[in-house]
Amino acid sequence: MMADVDASPGGTQLTLTPEEHRRLRKRYRRRTTLTAYAFLSPNLAAFAVFLLIPVVWLFVSTFRTGGVLGPAQFVGLDNWRDTFSNPLVQTSIRNTVVYSAMAIPAVFVIAMVLALALHAIPRGGAPTRVALYVPTLQPAVVAAFIFTFVLHPDFGVINYAIRGLGGDPVNFLGDTSLALPTIAGIEVWRGTGFWTMLFLASLTALPSELYHAAELDGAGAIRRFRRLTLPLLRPTFYFAVIFATIVNLQLFDSVFALTDGGPVNSTISVSLYIYRSLFAFGDIGFGAALSFLLVVTVLVLTGLQTFLLRDRR
Amino acid sequence: MPTRRDTRHGTSGHFWRLLAVFFVFALIAAACGDDDDPSDAAEPAPTTAGDSSSDADDEPGETAEPEPTTAGDSSDDAADEPVEAAEPEPEPMPALSGTIGFIKGPHSAMEVEFEEQIIADFNSQVAPDVTVEFSTYDWPVHVAELTTLFASGSPPDVQYLVDLIYPSFAEQGVLHDMTDLVNDPSWADERANISPFAWDLAEQQGGTWGVPVLGAVYNIFINETLLEEAGLLDSWDDSYESMLAAAEALTTDDVYGFAARTSAADFAWWDWYPYIHNAGGDVLSDDWTECGLVGQDVVDAMQFLIDIHTAGVTPAIGSLDNQGLFDLFAAGRIAILHHETPNIVSLNTDPPDFDWTVAAAPPGPQGHTVMGNFGILSIAEASDNKEAAWEFIKHWASAPQVGRFAEQVSLQVVRTDIIDDLFAENPAMRTVQSELVPRVQGLQPHPQILEALQAAWPVVEDAFRGNLTGEEAIAGMCGAIDGVLAG
Repeated sequence: MMADVDASPGGTQLTLTPEEHRRLRKRYRRRTTLTAYAFLSPNLAAFAVFLLIPVVWLFVSTFRTGGVLGPAQFVGLDNWRDTFSNPLVQTSIRNTVVYSAMAIPAVFVIAMVLALALHAIPRGGAPTRVALYVPTLQPAVVAAFIFTFVLHPDFGVINYAIRGLGGDPVNFLGDTSLALPTIAGIEVWRGTGFWTMLFLASLTALPSELYHAAELDGAGAIRRFRRLTLPLLRPTFYFAVIFATIVNLQLFDSVFALTDGGPVNSTISVSLYIYRSLFAFGDIGFGAALSFLLVVTVLVLTGLQTFLLRDRR
Repeated sequence: MPTRRDTRHGTSGHFWRLLAVFFVFALIAAACGDDDDPSDAAEPAPTTAGDSSSDADDEPGETAEPEPTTAGDSSDDAADEPVEAAEPEPEPMPALSGTIGFIKGPHSAMEVEFEEQIIADFNSQVAPDVTVEFSTYDWPVHVAELTTLFASGSPPDVQYLVDLIYPSFAEQGVLHDMTDLVNDPSWADERANISPFAWDLAEQQGGTWGVPVLGAVYNIFINETLLEEAGLLDSWDDSYESMLAAAEALTTDDVYGFAARTSAADFAWWDWYPYIHNAGGDVLSDDWTECGLVGQDVVDAMQFLIDIHTAGVTPAIGSLDNQGLFDLFAAGRIAILHHETPNIVSLNTDPPDFDWTVAAAPPGPQGHTVMGNFGILSIAEASDNKEAAWEFIKHWASAPQVGRFAEQVSLQVVRTDIIDDLFAENPAMRTVQSELVPRVQGLQPHPQILEALQAAWPVVEDAFRGNLTGEEAIAGMCGAIDGVLAG
């Protein structure tokens, strides 16, 4: 069916039947969708090749044993049974969660305080910002080396000070109750610069007129922080919490460099145990099951945080 | 018209449905598509010149092709041709050529230079047309590095592997079974020069996985000056009790009487093993099917180790790593230190201001052993130049080469023919080689021995902190070891 064309002097007017309109709308949508997918395809290809297929392959590996150096063998749910019955898995999960619960709030509070302080400095804050950011640039191995000299029971700076004050030296990394908090402290030291800069950037971008208005209305600093800053930083916190959770649940490098999971497994993390299972013991299926558990845990926690932090307005 | 929210939910729904389909396919793939066909596993390894005997057995009809070339492979041919071949002429060895890779963990900061000497000699004396590319792995992560190399399908042709890790690689089929090579009659004299206990460590799982070349003995360093001043030099190692008493007597505000490694990261079990072996125990039972830490003597040995670590005579448990402990000894602040022989080089190069020597742990109720672990030179199953690899291993393991290297890095040799010629100017190493090596009782080269030790060691660490008795510690270790064996 052809569309009617009204060639009046006022201009061309196209009149479509409802069926034509639906067809053209459908065609337009299809074209738009295809264009969108064409632009997205490089990213989707990378996503499939480097994430989706490996994760599916990882899931396949959880039902097998071997497969890297020798032939794979189907073992059903054996790896999953081992994963949930192995006490060291439980220890590594507990350590990782406890570490995250210590490190994430601590680094956020410290970074926010520092960001507010830097935000209040009218000029000359650049050297301070650089100094704050330098620890973030340190690789974990370098940080571990630095803290060997800071924490060493015999010649470490902190214990030197403690002895100077008449106290007994503290075995920071050799004491089962202190090792994990110490590693959390080191990671907080490394991460503070990054989060401070992130919070500072967000603070700088907040609309100043709102603060001027609040100030004119008589709101004090704490009230302005509670009623303006925190709600306006909600998107930043949303990103920060999810990103920090993902990063901290994968704790590996500092534990590997500082304690290798000891003493008495008090610092073994899920990622370190995965590494050992896969590379030290060649237990591919078990390592895959543990890895998949970590992937699912990160996904679930991210989903939970997304739900809890969503904008309810 | 759908809203953005509806569209998002629709997309999300599609995503999850797609993911569900993926996982269903994944499950099907895991169950059906695995490449573990038993017939595949049963197939012989790819044919190489070195695998000749089994090939001949498998293919009796194809005998026209002569075996590739070692003098000792001639017996079958001789039987086929009794008239002409009473004394068969050995076929000339084809000229070796190509490139082989060789990887080893460093035993010295000058490892590369030392290896270049060996390779230069190989090229000048054995195979001028073979290029040997040497590389090193890092000891702390060497299992991961080697696993990755083997998984790549093109590992170095020759690897130096220690007895703690090679059994796992042998079990997974990435090492070449060298039984035929090491039993080559033309190499029989050289084979006989290597101690039988070293061959025992290299021959497992029905195969021979390398040529034993070096050993690292775990000795005790003693500060003779301190012990002599305390009048304990001749009696400290009479028994465990006398060692503990000496450690207590020697401990002051500045000096620890005794120290040993305590963390798994430092492979602390090397210092623990002699006491367990001296008590008649071992990590695995004789048939390697369960925990071997049984008997009252083993419990007593464990209790002694707990007692000495909780007696206030050692640095705080976990406070110092391997190097930290040795540095403290070199500074004169540890009187009796469990450690390892490569540090003899440090003490000779930079002598401390006290007299020192090496010793073994005191005797126990069922023996007087020394712990040592040993390294073998293996050929990768994936190597496509096994002949050159084998020639290089024979060269590396020969008396002049291995002897020079052992002296350069202060390690022990397993060849019995050169002991008297080594370490002429190094009395500590002579003591180790002549008095400690003969007492060595090594580890049980089970494929999961490293995993068993790593699983059980946290129990020992906990015990050394005074949280467990000897009996509880042994029970905990056995639980961990049996768990690994069952898994």
